[in-house]
Amino acid sequence: MATYSNQCAIVGVGENKRSRKSGATPLHMALTAARNALADAGLEANDLDGIMNYSTGGDSCPSHELATFLGCHPKYVKDVSGGGSSTELLIADAVALIEAGMLNTVLIYRSMNGSSGHQVGRGYDPNMLQEMLPGGSFLMPYGTASPTQWFGMFATRHMQQTGITKEHLGHVCISFYEHAQRNPDAFLHGKPLDMETYLATPDISSPFNIHDCCVELDEANAIIVTSAANAKNCKSKPVFIAGMAPRTTHSNVHYWTQVDEVASDYAAAELYRSAGVKPEDIQVAAIYDCFSWVVLRQLEAYGFAKRGEVGDFVAAGNLKMGGLLPSNTAGGMLSEGYTHGMNNVLELVRQLRHDYKETNRQVKNCELGIATGWAGPDMAGAMILRN
Amino acid sequence: MSTKTEYEKPIPLKNGDNQPYWDAADQHELKLQKCAACRSFIHPPGPACPTCGNPETEWELLGSDISATVYSYVVSYRPFLPGFQHDLPTIITVASLDAAPEVKLMANIINCDAKTVKIGMPLKMTWVDITEDRALPQWVSAKE
Repeated sequence: MATYSNQCAIVGVGENKRSRKSGATPLHMALTAARNALADAGLEANDLDGIMNYSTGGDSCPSHELATFLGCHPKYVKDVSGGGSSTELLIADAVALIEAGMLNTVLIYRSMNGSSGHQVGRGYDPNMLQEMLPGGSFLMPYGTASPTQWFGMFATRHMQQTGITKEHLGHVCISFYEHAQRNPDAFLHGKPLDMETYLATPDISSPFNIHDCCVELDEANAIIVTSAANAKNCKSKPVFIAGMAPRTTHSNVHYWTQVDEVASDYAAAELYRSAGVKPEDIQVAAIYDCFSWVVLRQLEAYGFAKRGEVGDFVAAGNLKMGGLLPSNTAGGMLSEGYTHGMNNVLELVRQLRHDYKETNRQVKNCELGIATGWAGPDMAGAMILRN
Repeated sequence: MSTKTEYEKPIPLKNGDNQPYWDAADQHELKLQKCAACRSFIHPPGPACPTCGNPETEWELLGSDISATVYSYVVSYRPFLPGFQHDLPTIITVASLDAAPEVKLMANIINCDAKTVKIGMPLKMTWVDITEDRALPQWVSAKE
């Protein structure tokens, strides 16, 4: 059986400066992120023989266009329609292609004007959505056009069944906002959140208020993956890919027929088996956080707290620095910014490289981390990284 | 008879897979697609059975007396689509049919105080005439 174990590594990460209004195209932002990742790795653009990208509704630039203006000529480009979990799953593709001997070094990026351009959370043209989304004509006539509503349908029932309260959602938000106060590049740096304010904030769509929802911004991120052998020649400290798992569930893509399971429930076992580790071995985490409840549901799925005890786990401060599982330590998508999951992975890499050594941002002595992706309740991708 | 107020919300688009469902809805009836092989209901309708993959399907008329219970729900305080600004908060539920609990139908619960909605709450289907020839299935509390 194939094993990922440490045969490939992430050797470079980079981003552009996130903002509400970039005044730039996704191509310009992707170029900045890619050049920063190359500089981080100590590589040249011509060292890349693969470039991959994911987008939603054509909100990015194609990989060949990025390659054109990096001035390089990769053997292989790949652009997929994706979202949460695409970071992990494109890294899995890169690992497979590298292990197959087809490629040596792959750059993966996500670039989106998520604030000034196309906003995932604020609805699209209704007739386009009816035709584009599976079963769309059974959603749009009822006003069901936002992920807040799609995932909220899972949250309502799960919260009722497991005793998760609004305060528990608040603890997720407050923990991540607290991290953002240590990160000058977080969009909500300088804007801490307390429980009183959180609970006084009215819902946009139950059970979520504005703090429970990620911050949609203009941003680009890039990650470079290469073989462990090549990694030795890079400038950065390599972070090895120790295990990965993709998973799709639900017999119907119109997934509200079954809200009691999510794909992460099934990804977890395969993930830990592939890496040969257990949940209690993990020291730092990047948990996909498009919404606060999605974090709680994944903490249950990935075995960090038992079903019914997840609320207590976060209320005890375990997602904060010094907790059992410091998570989304740059602020997460709830308060740093929303790059469709990739920014949380960038932060995980930096934690595992100990980039923040001797500052209050560093998770002490962390060697093993998890990144979980959530494209929706029906689609997950996760990986375990080690330094 | 009918008021001339224009309907602003999205109107269900009929296509080759879902037309019998929406045609029945226009007649204030519920009709569901069913697999000809394994007999599972298929909702939303499609070109084959998601349970067994069989491409042969048929339609079953369930009529106009449809009861269900709330399986899950959300209450939206902002409109995410045109027209919903007139109906805030909007209650959206996925309801489990009493006659076939594995079938879950998404619709609004209308004429209902959002604070009273609970999982397990009994519902009845109603049809709202939205244009001269179209009607939309909706839920109302069965207690009314």
